[in-house]
Amino acid sequence: MVKVEICVGSHCSLVGALNILETLEKLQEEYPEQIQIERVECMDMCENIKKAPVVKVGAELITSAQTQMVISKVMERIK
Amino acid sequence: MSKLKGIYTDIVKIRRMVFAELARLALKDAECEEFDKIPYRIIDTEEATYRSSIFKERAIVAARVRLGLGMDYETNQEHKLLSEGIRNFLKNDNQLKEPLVNVIRFACEKCPTNAHFVTNNCRKCLAHPCSIVCPVDAITIEEHAAVIDQEKCINCGKCKKACPYEAIVNYERPCAAACGVDAIESDDYDRAKINQDKCVSCGQCIIACPFGAIADKSMIFQLLKSIKRGEDVRAIIAPSFVGQFGPLVSAEKIVASLKELGMKEVREVSLGADFASLHEAELFAEDIPEKQPYLGTSCCPSWTYAADKHVPEVKDNISESSSPMIFAAQSVKEDNQDSKVVFIGPCVSKKLEALSDRVKDEVDYVITFEELAAIFVAADIELTKVDAEEEIRDASYYGRAYANAGGVAEAIRQNLKEKYEIDPPITKADGLAECKKTLIKAKAGVLDGHLVEGMACEGGCVGGPGTLLETTRGAKYVTKFADESPYKFAFENDKLNKKDK
Repeated sequence: MVKVEICVGSHCSLVGALNILETLEKLQEEYPEQIQIERVECMDMCENIKKAPVVKVGAELITSAQTQMVISKVMERIK
Repeated sequence: MSKLKGIYTDIVKIRRMVFAELARLALKDAECEEFDKIPYRIIDTEEATYRSSIFKERAIVAARVRLGLGMDYETNQEHKLLSEGIRNFLKNDNQLKEPLVNVIRFACEKCPTNAHFVTNNCRKCLAHPCSIVCPVDAITIEEHAAVIDQEKCINCGKCKKACPYEAIVNYERPCAAACGVDAIESDDYDRAKINQDKCVSCGQCIIACPFGAIADKSMIFQLLKSIKRGEDVRAIIAPSFVGQFGPLVSAEKIVASLKELGMKEVREVSLGADFASLHEAELFAEDIPEKQPYLGTSCCPSWTYAADKHVPEVKDNISESSSPMIFAAQSVKEDNQDSKVVFIGPCVSKKLEALSDRVKDEVDYVITFEELAAIFVAADIELTKVDAEEEIRDASYYGRAYANAGGVAEAIRQNLKEKYEIDPPITKADGLAECKKTLIKAKAGVLDGHLVEGMACEGGCVGGPGTLLETTRGAKYVTKFADESPYKFAFENDKLNKKDK
């Protein structure tokens, strides 16, 4: 089971967090037992958008996250 | 629907960064010179990231800044600082004018127009069915592969279907493929050019261009300046707004955030939708079929522009009723005479509707959800952490469901059934190409007696170019929010006057 925390605050949502979330949720439908998604409020780690979106896959913090990056990290952990 | 809709790309990122920069400068009352720095703030690398050259990347951002301020597109033929043009624009009326949707010409990569090509999947097979099925004898089998004579080819697609190796592709300009009214042509340099006599400003080409070469104008700056001047700005927000700002941001939080931004009040446009659906039901009951053969809905401006520009014979049968936006704005202005009204929605063509003589005194500004999300970032408003207590209950279930394809006709039909005992046949046009086809059918008399709904964006307003959410996801939020409405039918809405029900 991998836990993914995804920030859905104003900054992260503007720069793609909603799209990452959507792809993650579709992936979760395929692996319902293995992925846990938590939508979290602003974690104050985006340094005023420069490092947004912010996503945590397990204990690993990903800044300036992109969909393909997050998905591949998640897949690594569930395989 | 464009394949790019709902995918977050670098184009989307740059577009939103420009919006956020414009909002930032408006909010801090920056000097004009500050605008010259925007291309460098957004493209802050030393080498090109996205295109052939970093200078081109910055020049394109500069063009986006101009359009974002509402200025006209300008060819780069004269040495001029970005700020010089901006100073003149702001000194004068700083009013956005047509054309709304513009090609940033030097950003256009001159994609070939609609054509069939043979790829190297071709095995030069013995059967070569491609050439046999071609009705204009355009295919010859050359030394290595089949070759299509582009002069002869009529793009019927028969060869593509016949090929056993998927070797033939239909190559379309993405902007032109997204345009439902064939408004994209080519200029003398083979770059995309929008024929304004055909364009209905739906904005789908903006989303579809994979090089980010098409942009619309915005009113971000004008709106924020109005708030900064202390004007009584009130917002009306379109029914597709729920969920657009993230899964933790409720409708109530969006309203509270708008107030934090400086809006005196926020009303649902769905209130206007309730009004409009009642009005259109009344028109239908009175006029169809005796005085008028069928009734087209009025709420989607690109649909009505498509009728005006492409099938003018049907114009009189598209409802004269005002759109939900106009009704909602009027209700705000009746209660607050000196107020300014901003419409916040998913829609690009509403910007044009708001500029028309009929509407310009009712609606002062139009911005999209995407633009608003950038404004929130610039204003440092963290939506997930805003306190919201006030409940919003301006509209009925059917008024809120207006944002989904089919929702408008359904709302009117419910009123007709409940109030007039009429259950009309319904025709729904989903997407601009469908709209045009439907208008042509209507002209031919095929739709007599029908209630005809036209939505230029596929999926309805939730599929609008100004949204942040993928269309089907937006639609789910809309339905859920409609379910939470205090009223089912428009005529049950306490906020409407008795005479309007």
